Amino acid sequence: MTNYLELAQDVVKRAAASGVQAEAIITQDSETQIKVSKGEVEQLSQSSSRGLGVRVIDGGKTGYAYTSDLSEAGVESTWRTALELAAVATPDALRGLPEPHPISSEDLEIWDESLPNIPTSDKIELIKEVERGALDYDPRVILAEFCVYGDNINHVYLANSRGFAGQYGRTVTFAEVMGIARGEDGEMTNAFGLGASNFFRDLNAREIGREAGEKAVSLLGGKPVETQVGTVVLDYFVGAQILAALAQALSAESWQKKRSFLLDRMGQQVGSDMVTLMDNGRLKRGLASAPFDGEGVPTAATRLVDEGVLQNLTYDSYAAAKAGVQSTGNAARAGHRSLPGLGPSNFYMQPGNVSREEIIAGVEKGLYVISVMQTGGIDPVTGDCSMGANGLWIENGKIVGPVGGVTVATTLDGFLNNITQVGNDLRMVPFFGSIGVPTLRVDNVTIGGSK
Amino acid sequence: MIEKALAQKVLHEALRTGADLAEIYVEDVVSLQLRLDDSRLEQAVRGADRGAGVRVFFGNLVTYAFTDQLDEASLMNAARAAASAGNQSSKTQVIDLTERKSPLHYPVEKPFESMSVAEKAGLLGRMDEAARAVGPQIVQVTAGYLELRRHMWLFNSEGVQVEDDRHFTEMRGGVVARRNGTLQRINEGFGGRVGLELLERNDAIEKIGSMAGRAIKMLDAKPCPAGDMTVVMCNGWGGVLFHEACGHQMEADFITKGSSAYTGKIGQQVANPIITAIDDGTIPGRRGSLRFDDDGTPAQRTVLIEKGILKEYMWDLVECRRVGRTQSTGNGRRESYRHMPMPRMTNTFIDQGGHDPQEIIESVEKGIYIAGMAGGQADISKGDYVFNATEAYLIEKGKLTTPLRGATVFGNGPKTLLEIDMVGNDLALDPGQGMCGKGQAARVSVGQPTIRIPRATVGGTDDSAGS
Repeated sequence: MTNYLELAQDVVKRAAASGVQAEAIITQDSETQIKVSKGEVEQLSQSSSRGLGVRVIDGGKTGYAYTSDLSEAGVESTWRTALELAAVATPDALRGLPEPHPISSEDLEIWDESLPNIPTSDKIELIKEVERGALDYDPRVILAEFCVYGDNINHVYLANSRGFAGQYGRTVTFAEVMGIARGEDGEMTNAFGLGASNFFRDLNAREIGREAGEKAVSLLGGKPVETQVGTVVLDYFVGAQILAALAQALSAESWQKKRSFLLDRMGQQVGSDMVTLMDNGRLKRGLASAPFDGEGVPTAATRLVDEGVLQNLTYDSYAAAKAGVQSTGNAARAGHRSLPGLGPSNFYMQPGNVSREEIIAGVEKGLYVISVMQTGGIDPVTGDCSMGANGLWIENGKIVGPVGGVTVATTLDGFLNNITQVGNDLRMVPFFGSIGVPTLRVDNVTIGGSK
Repeated sequence: MIEKALAQKVLHEALRTGADLAEIYVEDVVSLQLRLDDSRLEQAVRGADRGAGVRVFFGNLVTYAFTDQLDEASLMNAARAAASAGNQSSKTQVIDLTERKSPLHYPVEKPFESMSVAEKAGLLGRMDEAARAVGPQIVQVTAGYLELRRHMWLFNSEGVQVEDDRHFTEMRGGVVARRNGTLQRINEGFGGRVGLELLERNDAIEKIGSMAGRAIKMLDAKPCPAGDMTVVMCNGWGGVLFHEACGHQMEADFITKGSSAYTGKIGQQVANPIITAIDDGTIPGRRGSLRFDDDGTPAQRTVLIEKGILKEYMWDLVECRRVGRTQSTGNGRRESYRHMPMPRMTNTFIDQGGHDPQEIIESVEKGIYIAGMAGGQADISKGDYVFNATEAYLIEKGKLTTPLRGATVFGNGPKTLLEIDMVGNDLALDPGQGMCGKGQAARVSVGQPTIRIPRATVGGTDDSAGS
């Protein structure tokens, strides 16, 4: 088998021979995906692939090329193309490859050694169990759609002309399902259940299915409430969508390019004192954890907002050079097909000490939001935050019935400042990167319904 | 890309364990992407992706294996991996491959090579200057160029051999306007299944100037009122409403499972009789236009709804086989050779109506007009949809007045389709910026004339909410 790290180093050497900085990444993936429906396997896909990406920086000008063709001709044409493309880029003295730093050998627990040997039949059994978990929850759950198991055994090999050479392996497994419930009048509702982990054995199939079934059934018969300003309790899956926007607003690139609603508020109170936000590329068993980032800088735990006070931003080496600080190891990369770009790793809100049940019990009148729909409604640039919502109505601390067809609107400022309780039930989700949030209570939110 | 004799051999191998159908999908993709941000050409990326996927059908079980190497050994390995789910002996023969012809051609008038990379980059630089020249409020500009050639070949054991060489050119722009801590932004794009003639037919400089002007205007936007009201949606990109809220529910996979509200409703009234809706994969130069889909089926025009009556769903090969239907509608699409096809829309639109668009706005006593939005999302089984407007105006006594910010429109697709009570005579397809996500990305077009929804739930932070 080819030694991919050596190949990456060789490509770097060839490209750098013409007096430029060069970086090569090789990624190798073995993926399995299984979809079941009505107790039968419907789709089964198993494949391996690999590819090379080359970044060349010629006098501050960046060019990039990638290929799936690792033959001598493919490799040679890829670095030459990257070099040619650099000619059209705008020179920028701050563009450069980071100098090598020692990489800690700490075990981040992102490698499931057993995964390559887990038989496909076990994976099929797991995803069938997810489907049963949803269907068995209640007879009103009539279908389990998108019932999919997937895993990826991923290897990354990275080398650059400043002397960095590193590699790591990471495994990711996930299972998801959409439960569809039907009420007496034929109305249908749905909800997702999902689980993801670096370790196959961590997936709790029954629980993933149950979550989808339970949430879908609970939403049956939902009607709008009157338009009002009030309290909402946000399920972790809802909060995660808002946090995804905050992660963008807290990147140094967004600030440097004036695309953040938080612009110029460093050191200020930007949220209630319940709010502490972290980006941690070294989170144990974090889906986005890795020993080094997309350009070879060691990953780190960065406290961005501490008890409501804005303390830091995420940086890759370019944004850091611009600001005159150290990179926080946040160069994100979607495989060999993309240039590294500033992005979150494992981004989450620190949990508090109340349970979800206690939060609900403390609400006199409000909406427990279980699912939302939004596209561009949560905007890290303008700070707007509005979405369509389904959930359960709370009165005097008790859930009294389903709510559907309403909108929930605030601003991201309003969201951060009106968080009055943070749950103890932090859950990381593999969407929008790797994002986690506990159940939250937020006050002063506009619930738009009938009238 | 691969010889017919090799394809025949690989298909034969894939059928060896008792499958009833086998297919090879081969793809060669090359792309160039340029991105300007913060007045700098920051990204210049060229990609080359080549590979093949072998798909094998055992009744309703479909297995798949792909490879990024096109030599005989790799293809035979993929065939064996995909066939490994079977445990019988071969029962299906490979029928001699015959190349199918399509009457559809999407000629590229100006090839990608007719402009140098530096010229393409120069255009992005001029877009940046043009947007910033509109006013000092414009604090940030992005501009992007993409050329993509996706050449596919497909062979299956029923003798089908097809080829579709797809060229796409796309431009994108984004502007951020700022005044006293208030930010507004507009992102828009245009493109299609065309070569560089796109740049002759559209003025990228003028377009980004118009975006900058509108973003500045939106700085005066007031918070959108919340509640039920009449909504008028713009023509063209406004068609994303039908795509999200109804189109997905007419994709055959949701129909055969019974998770769509339109299951079993063929022949029934599902829309106001003034509505006819069409999916057409054969329109020259559009993002969703195909010669053959990714199952090897010829592209076609499918009337989904005719004068309010549901006529047809959108089918792919897998869903046809599931219900024993012989003819697919040519809606099987996949993101790449690493993916299996599924039913997807192509170019989908509500057809021409009879009202003057001005008359539609004048008919509204109080409501909102949505002139631009960031896309939408819909809930499959229930049919609820939500759209976040990036550009919206209050309609008062038949006139567009205050620009509104943070407007969200929420409704139920099947219900809205029955309720739409005015359809304009200004049918347009969107400028060519639609990317549909359904687990896999697919280039699509949407379209419609101006339409009026008499009542929809509008969300926003009205003045009383504060924060």
